[in-house]
Amino acid sequence: MREYAFFLGCIAPNRYPGAESASIITSRRLGIELLPLNGASCCPAPGAFGSIDLNIWYAMAARNLVLAEQMERDIALICNGCYKSIYEVNHKLKHNDELRDGVNEVLKEIDMEFKGSIDVWHLAELLYDENIVGVEKIRESVKVPLTGTKIAVHYGCHLMKPKKERHMGSTEAPRWIEELVEALGAEAVEYRNKMQCCGAGGGVRGYDLPHSLDITNEKLQNMIEVGADAVTEVCPFCQLQFDRGQIEIEEKFGIKYDMPVFHYNELLGLAQGMSPSELGLDLHAISTEPFLKKVL
Amino acid sequence: MATKNYPDPILNEKLRDRYYHRDQSNPEFTKEIEKIAGTMAHMCFQCGTCTAGCPSAPRSSYRIREFMRRAVLGLEDEALTDPDLWFCTTCYSCTDRCPRDLAPTDVIMAMRNLAARRDIVPVNFLKTVQAIYSSGHGVPNNDVNRAAREKLGMTRDPPTTSMYPEYIKGIQKILDHYGLKERADRIIKEREG
Ligand code: SF4
Ligand code: SF4
Repeated sequence: MREYAFFLGCIAPNRYPGAESASIITSRRLGIELLPLNGASCCPAPGAFGSIDLNIWYAMAARNLVLAEQMERDIALICNGCYKSIYEVNHKLKHNDELRDGVNEVLKEIDMEFKGSIDVWHLAELLYDENIVGVEKIRESVKVPLTGTKIAVHYGCHLMKPKKERHMGSTEAPRWIEELVEALGAEAVEYRNKMQCCGAGGGVRGYDLPHSLDITNEKLQNMIEVGADAVTEVCPFCQLQFDRGQIEIEEKFGIKYDMPVFHYNELLGLAQGMSPSELGLDLHAISTEPFLKKVL
Repeated sequence: MATKNYPDPILNEKLRDRYYHRDQSNPEFTKEIEKIAGTMAHMCFQCGTCTAGCPSAPRSSYRIREFMRRAVLGLEDEALTDPDLWFCTTCYSCTDRCPRDLAPTDVIMAMRNLAARRDIVPVNFLKTVQAIYSSGHGVPNNDVNRAAREKLGMTRDPPTTSMYPEYIKGIQKILDHYGLKERADRIIKEREG
């Protein structure tokens, strides 16, 4: 078993708890133990905090990092927003002495010190890494293949972009999450402008909801166009924007899609034989029934 | 050498002066932006690749290329008071595509930081600060979710500051170090009464 400190963030534990629980259970079956990171907080939200003052964003994220340093475990997480804060701040503080000294000056007030002793990973990249899990092992863990379904992958932004500050290659037309989806027996469909943002980030969802939803709406149209049965993502904030966003799109624009939205770990749980109620799928705003009918 | 003239005398006057923006231009602004953003904004050659792929461009008057120009020309007031500044979703598409290898997204973040110093910041950003100050979470737990977690066999509160509120004090100390909560409260009160 490889052990990681599981950084939860806000939206998974507090709005889509099934995504949290599915991540723990499915990972355990694949040799990854996600341990609780006691006392962690919001990452903090990179759009809101970074926009107000980058220095405060660094200090707040560093507090979360220090908690994992104290556990002597790398962090694994399941949200792209958290990835931006936690991964990027860790990287910046490790490589910029001036920045690290400034942050440690503040952390001293709460008896903490950032040492730079751990790494930060998105669970999706651990699942894809064949030295850790890999597509083959995922395929072997499937009990209920999602055969006959078409799934549109939404990568979200902060997992792979900006590419210079990541390590996952080109951000124009990646296929690795599609490989993870296809390992479950589903067909991962390509659609127009796949790498476009969900519309929620940067504080825009709170600043101008219709503007933000209009971006989501365009993505949904592009997915419908190719006959997708569901969307999958690796970010609970994108999940919220696509799932609850569809209710808001109906209210504001009068357009109804009924497109089920799954965190990848929920899909993985389904394919590994977890029941919809074990996955908390009834908590989704958009019913997942039409999709479940195809596979169960 | 004969100078080519235009029919409008005011325009002629302006065109003669290569720095006719100078009374609105603050060269320090350009330097400050480049320092915070860590990108050489002045290398921007205005190709427009950034705007072309920007998800916010087709549905608003927000033009990231224009903000890049404002950064270079030092048009501080024009940049910081434009409500479009807050339409960037920070998707980083422009940053990954810029042929000059610049980071327009980080220029926007730097401008937002400078705007926030003047108390120009949308209320929703500040409400996130308030939520984190009181609970540690931007999106806190609630009773409906607690019941749902219980049904899933999970703890009612996640093992974050929700389950261990004793950690919230450390968060408050960090935010108080910067006086951020106080500022957030004051600005929200001024706007919403
Ligand atoms: S893509 Fe780069 S060089 Fe081109 S206008 Fe935008 S910032 Fe300037
Ligand atoms: S990062 Fe901002 S400015 Fe750049 S493309 Fe995305 S929304 Fe537009």
